Amino acid sequence: MTASVSQRPRRPAALGRNLAFLGVLLLLVVVVATIDLKLARLVDLPGQLASILGKMLLSPDTPYFGDAAALMVQSIQIAWIGTIMGAILSLPLGFLGAKNVTGGLMANGMRQLLNAIRAFPEIVLAIVFVAMIGLGPFAGTLAIGIHSIGTLGKLTAEVIEGIDPGPVEAARATGANQVQTLRWGVFPQVAPEIVAFWLYRFEINVRASAILGIVGAGGIGEALSQALVYRRYERAGMLIIVVVAATILIDVASGWLRRRIIEGGTKRGGTARRQPELIEVDPNVA
Amino acid sequence: MIRLERASVTYPGGVQALRELTLEIPDGQMLVIVGLSGAGKSTLIRAINGLVPLTGGDLTIDGRSVVRASTRELREIRSKIGMIFQTFNLVRRTSVLNNVLMGRLHDAGTLRSLLGAYRAEDVELAMRALERVGIVDKAYVRASNLSGGQQQRVGIARALAQEPKIILADEPVASLDPPTSHVVMRDLQRINRELGITTIVNLHFLDLARRYGDRMIGMRGGELVYDGTGEAADEQVFRDIYGRSLTADDVLEAQAAV
Amino acid sequence: MTATAPAAPGPVARPARAPRSPWLPVALVLVVAATWWAADGIGFDVVELIASLGRANRIVSEAFPPNWGFVDQTIRPLIETFQMAVIATVIGCGIGLPVAMLASGISNPNRPLLWIDRSVLAVVRAVPDIMYALIFVSALSVGPLPGVLALILFNIGVIGKLLSETIDGIDPGPLEAATAAGGSRLLVNRWAVLPQVLPNYVAYALYSFELNIRASAVIGLVGAGGLGQLLQTQRRFFHYDNQLMIIVELFALVVVIEMISVWLRRRLV
Repeated sequence: MTASVSQRPRRPAALGRNLAFLGVLLLLVVVVATIDLKLARLVDLPGQLASILGKMLLSPDTPYFGDAAALMVQSIQIAWIGTIMGAILSLPLGFLGAKNVTGGLMANGMRQLLNAIRAFPEIVLAIVFVAMIGLGPFAGTLAIGIHSIGTLGKLTAEVIEGIDPGPVEAARATGANQVQTLRWGVFPQVAPEIVAFWLYRFEINVRASAILGIVGAGGIGEALSQALVYRRYERAGMLIIVVVAATILIDVASGWLRRRIIEGGTKRGGTARRQPELIEVDPNVA
Repeated sequence: MIRLERASVTYPGGVQALRELTLEIPDGQMLVIVGLSGAGKSTLIRAINGLVPLTGGDLTIDGRSVVRASTRELREIRSKIGMIFQTFNLVRRTSVLNNVLMGRLHDAGTLRSLLGAYRAEDVELAMRALERVGIVDKAYVRASNLSGGQQQRVGIARALAQEPKIILADEPVASLDPPTSHVVMRDLQRINRELGITTIVNLHFLDLARRYGDRMIGMRGGELVYDGTGEAADEQVFRDIYGRSLTADDVLEAQAAV
Repeated sequence: MTATAPAAPGPVARPARAPRSPWLPVALVLVVAATWWAADGIGFDVVELIASLGRANRIVSEAFPPNWGFVDQTIRPLIETFQMAVIATVIGCGIGLPVAMLASGISNPNRPLLWIDRSVLAVVRAVPDIMYALIFVSALSVGPLPGVLALILFNIGVIGKLLSETIDGIDPGPLEAATAAGGSRLLVNRWAVLPQVLPNYVAYALYSFELNIRASAVIGLVGAGGLGQLLQTQRRFFHYDNQLMIIVELFALVVVIEMISVWLRRRLV
């Protein structure tokens, strides 16, 4: 130690950060240079959008509201049945996928399976099911249900792995068997979070089921895509208004319910509990 | 000169934190404020730089009213007032130098500051401020890697980088151990004496207040109950401020002994 | 412990069974009723379902094995999917940063502005990405451009929500310090908010890139470029083996990108 305290240090080079920044920049330049976006078309965009949005939002096809609402209700029904399906089937799979419930090998295998299911977007699953069992809400429900098993199963496993090991140890210490330990040591700790996730998944599934009709899997999506393809913007506007209103309404109601459930869990459990990071489950896609 | 005239603060919940307080603080003074928590010390300090707006009365600094200042004027007033916090309020994820450079935000130019391309003068001021508190060697270290005492010295350097005329310190040693508390208080005293910066410090511990303050005021329930020197404050004064006799909890040295 | 056990108090009446939350049975009944109603509405029938799955044999045998020879024709759309995701992520996350800062009460104390930004964000998020794609395709005709625009809106929604929630949870102390030092709102956010959320921001950007890869494959179904557009053409001609090939590629792409992104994110936070 020869340097005196008053010696000013040299500014360290932020090599890693600069490299990452340069890398992203380079990637962007290469991508922009190689993709053929036909940017010239952007010139038309403001005019086109103004005309389309004007027809959609300023003069929506109000007499069509009843039909649009009925189709949205079908989308919500698809989302609901899909969520119930996903919730029921994901619960045992989630338990099997938690390292502190089953051994490492079993848990790992189950996680890989759940990840694999999750990797298929709902609409791709819908394409598969439409091909297999025909057009209609059935295919959409299956698509939503299967995808939900993947996402909910993974989250369930993660929540279980994050629990306080104390009560589990205590239950084991009293001589409880595996199932009893799960029922009384694990389940009470995770129930509020998991139910909250089911509700959250329902919100996401409503958004997803609203578009599945594009590939013929039921709900409001088919009418919407037809309206836009045939440029019946007034009708499309009515449909979009119904979708957005229903989605926001369900979000608000479900969000309120989720907060109640999580806070209720805090009151009983004693320890402050944050809603788990929702980064893994974002609406629209996932 | 800071002048409060019948200054009152009532919070939205109805709590009256300041009740018609009248007070004059001459330039260059080291003023220590003591009182129980909830006595209005923090409110008083934050009223001076407008972080807490007055709900009644007036507060002027060198004749300019803080109460009637526009957003822009308020920023200008604040630029001349450094502030030091109990919990340091550093951005822990960034470097010490970036934290100190926050003291230059008022003058660094929006675009330059946005890009982090500070002028050499601003960096120089920040470095000098760090030298004054003796931790310039940590300039490029992340703030979270420093000890509590070092973090508070970064907080002081941040205030100094503003080239302030006034420094407000809100319980600056409440999160520190006794030896470090003395180091930080001595730093503040030195800055007050060497640079002639008016320094206003909230303190919980009476022995620190008596030792470092030119002048001591006591607050209770939002009102002034004592104004004088530390030495002159006797047992009766303490009873007025604390509503009870002095106990070991009120003295830092006794805390250290525990 | 030297103290002896306290003297046993007289017998205390045992409490009655703790009342169960009255909402639990109500909730259960509601859930069952809703499920019944929904199943009825879409004509859900397990027997019918199994029967139709049994009839799916023909399709499955046509799809298997996937047409490996089709890979050549998928390369360009695959690259296009990737390109769309990169551009949309960079632009969307760039716009998403100020949008997120305006959407948190910590970084934006202006109530009316906060309310407007949050409302716009809620509407932007309520419209599914594929619906944006439909609208932009309608306005600009088919190709990757409408796809990129749709993804940008989608990214603004994702970043706006996730990042504004992160900002809600940061330490407000540094903001007070920067405000007290006379910093303007913009600079306070730059130096007291951004450094606190930067790792999260980068993680969310990676995450939305991951979502974009999936989404950019999907929005092609309505003509917005990439793999999805190819999938839609193959659907029209009932080339099940080609479709399966595309789905296999899509799966591989999603899994690989997710693995890389998760690895990077873990190093960040």
